[in-house]
Amino acid sequence: MSGSDERLLVASGITKQFGGIVALDQVDLDVAPGEAVGIVGPNGAGKTTLFNCIFGLEQPDEGTVVFSGRRINRLPVWKRSRMGIGRTFQRMELFEGMTVADHLLVAEQAASGTVRIWRDLVHRGGPTPDELAHVRSVLELLGLEDMAGRPIDTLDLGHARLVELGRAMMGRPRLLMLDEPSSGLDVDDTARLARILQENRRSSGVAVILVEHDLTLVESTVDRLVVLNFGKVLATGGVDEVLSEPEVRRAYLGSTA
Amino acid sequence: MTQFLNYAVPGVPFGCVFALMAVGLVLTYKASGVFNLAFGAQAFVSALTYVSLIQDAWPRWAAAVIAILVIGPFVGVLLDRLLFRRIRTASPLVKLVPSLGLLVALPQVALIIAGSTPSLPPPAIVANAQTVYLHLGSVPLSGLELSISAATVIVVAALVVLFRFTPVGLEMRAVVESPRMTELAGVNAGRVSAFAWILSSVMAALAGVLLAPLYSQLDPQNFTVLLVWGVAGAVIGRFSSLPLALVGGLALGIGQQVIAGYLPAGVIANGLRPSLPFVVLLVFLPFARQRQLDDPLSACDPPSSAIERSTSGFHAASTSTTSDGTGHTIGLWHQRLEGGGAVTGPGLLTRRPTATFAWAVAALAVVSALTWVPPDWLLTMNQGIAFAIIFLSLTLLTGMTGQISLCQATFAGLGGFMAGQLANHVGLPVVLGMVAGGLLAALLGVLVAIPTLRLAGLPLALATLAFALLADNILFPNSLIGNGAGGVTLPRPSAGPISFAAAKPFFVLSLVILGAAAAVVKLVGDGTMGRYLAAIRGSEMAANSVGIDVYRLRILVFALSAALAGVGGALFGSLEGSLSPDDFGYQISAVLLVVVAIVGLRSIAGAVVAGLVYTTLQVAVTTLPSRFAGLVAVLFGLATLSYTRHPEGFLDYVGARTQDAIARRRAARSGAGGSRAPGATPGIGRPRPAPVGEGA
Repeated sequence: MSGSDERLLVASGITKQFGGIVALDQVDLDVAPGEAVGIVGPNGAGKTTLFNCIFGLEQPDEGTVVFSGRRINRLPVWKRSRMGIGRTFQRMELFEGMTVADHLLVAEQAASGTVRIWRDLVHRGGPTPDELAHVRSVLELLGLEDMAGRPIDTLDLGHARLVELGRAMMGRPRLLMLDEPSSGLDVDDTARLARILQENRRSSGVAVILVEHDLTLVESTVDRLVVLNFGKVLATGGVDEVLSEPEVRRAYLGSTA
Repeated sequence: MTQFLNYAVPGVPFGCVFALMAVGLVLTYKASGVFNLAFGAQAFVSALTYVSLIQDAWPRWAAAVIAILVIGPFVGVLLDRLLFRRIRTASPLVKLVPSLGLLVALPQVALIIAGSTPSLPPPAIVANAQTVYLHLGSVPLSGLELSISAATVIVVAALVVLFRFTPVGLEMRAVVESPRMTELAGVNAGRVSAFAWILSSVMAALAGVLLAPLYSQLDPQNFTVLLVWGVAGAVIGRFSSLPLALVGGLALGIGQQVIAGYLPAGVIANGLRPSLPFVVLLVFLPFARQRQLDDPLSACDPPSSAIERSTSGFHAASTSTTSDGTGHTIGLWHQRLEGGGAVTGPGLLTRRPTATFAWAVAALAVVSALTWVPPDWLLTMNQGIAFAIIFLSLTLLTGMTGQISLCQATFAGLGGFMAGQLANHVGLPVVLGMVAGGLLAALLGVLVAIPTLRLAGLPLALATLAFALLADNILFPNSLIGNGAGGVTLPRPSAGPISFAAAKPFFVLSLVILGAAAAVVKLVGDGTMGRYLAAIRGSEMAANSVGIDVYRLRILVFALSAALAGVGGALFGSLEGSLSPDDFGYQISAVLLVVVAIVGLRSIAGAVVAGLVYTTLQVAVTTLPSRFAGLVAVLFGLATLSYTRHPEGFLDYVGARTQDAIARRRAARSGAGGSRAPGATPGIGRPRPAPVGEGA
């Protein structure tokens, strides 16, 4: 597991069509344990579709997805999640009506698996000391201790995004897939997000795939960059090196950049 | 071919009426976001007007004009103004309950106003209905059939012209895409939607008037059946395509006649014909679900309305009852998080100040029942307990997961029949029979849940309605299950030397079973499972993404809920001594959902009170003079209207208000405004319920 040649995620030859539109065309993506990979590209390049194919929300027409040595093409989303993939959504998906702390707890408990009726009898569905400690530590990491008891719908966008990120971190995933976590956030919120991501990676060693338009956040977070355009990988490599390629500048940054 | 025509052509008038219904349903759904199940009732109201006027010696044409062009749109606009306009963006349940309630109440209200059911067989809109004007092949076409077809063609042609060539047609098409976007372009979306209501109500009225002469007597039942066919047509049109809905309705009308023609007469054919909507719904619903009303502006939605939020679920309910703006946590675990103000109130089903009061009332009621209450009252209370268990099945399913089931009565019936059949044929003790009935219902719950796993909201409700219809027509008449009109007898149980045959022991047994059912619901609600369910209700995709096996849980909850209903049905049957399919027909499911939604879907107390209210009303209907029987229907309708203002249910509404009042008094007594939890932000959270003056 620890060798750097042992890849955590290998997606190869992913192809997905919607009607006549080719959203993804033979896309390869691999991530080493603990590595942070950024995916950039113009709107409609297929970034979210790639996420969905890896995560199981959509079935690729062709290609395979291997996670920590196991082919997961046929697995449902919840099984992939329990294997150690956490994800956030471009358009936030929160549990309306639940509190911040419950968001984290439900993710922590679901990651471990079963409905525990016998435990519910004794603890009234409360957390074990371990779960409680983990919820508390993530609340601390996010700086949300004061908001733990607040219903999620009373939070502002910046904090809600943090809760979604925290929820994806529960159950100690080995891979975090973040879909435009900074969209709708202001500069301060984004800086805080970047800090939390770095801290989390340092402490947990989690691998990250980051789809993001905010290049500051990308640069401060990722080790490697993949550029998608019209469903194809346009370039891949170190951040500076990729962003200086003329083809990438044309496709992504526009002619003025 | 000729034989096919022989069967198919008589189906055309039915098809036309179904098609009108389907098109009208799609039209209002598209323009106002409400799938108006009260359409069947609207059709009945117009048909009743029409027949009554003719009975009063009005000329046919005048009666038809009044019924179709005056009464029809009048009722439609009234409903739009009073009700449906306000719930455009509400949750599926809040949209569905009023239209179901009106479907039941509206015909009764109309009958009260009309004074009596017309004795006249409904006349056709043309004088010489039976005259054969021409032959299609060898099939004679009568004036009745021709007039129905002609009226449909005219209406459809007018619709096409309206949508294609007039400004208001263009505006309607725009409003369908996005009401808000259209308003930004300077169009009054409310007016356009009102126009859609007028149009579709005219179609409902027309369908009603055209349909009436096809039956020998005017009966609200027929119009509910008509509605189901219309719904099936609308589903073929994927809730969105008017031409497809039209074709679907026509095809269904012809199809049902062809099936009846080709299949040998008997149980299968008789059962299959009314079950056709079920088959159609099951086949087409998965496609229909693709097309949700997705507003292009929904990404920049303002925070959801109070109505929407207050019904977002079981646990969300008590956010309103903590007066310091902190939310509700599921279970009692929050105190253990200590530190920054995370201390919140205890679980929903545990104590509020009002809970003590509720327990006191319950204790008093039980003691009274066992001491001085007269036998017929005791019977009513016991019936209420049996129904409380059935209502608990809805608390579990709809209250906790937000899934709407319109087949709980079917599960109850199946449980009861199973217990009775086992007792009669195998000699199984009734108590065990109740368990077996529950298990059978659970099994059927699984069978219903699996094909509907991907459905939610309205499509799920319609699919379960279709299942109820299927059971009514195929399962219940079977001599091994419901035994048709004869019904099934159920003895009262005994356990060894103890007999529960007498009223009071049976009452105690019922209480014990209710207690067990309530314990199940409470355990599920407060436990890990409750938290998972709350997550699923919040976002199914996100629940999946954190590792919750959503489908398995949905099946589990459906089965558990069906089992509760089955046990309740068996208990009811055992209490009554016999059970007939009419006790748990598909309309009953709708009534049950409406009743428990009005009283309160989110607490055990809600289910218990709903049970008592339901059975008491039943007694009231039969024992009071018939004038008051109508009053019950009116009350029911009014309660439905007020439901949209307080979708959290009557009990929660009153409870929250009482609790607020108590909290305010306490705060006043302790001076200095009380101690808010640190970190809690005042004023955040759900808006307070409106003061009394503004309410209903």
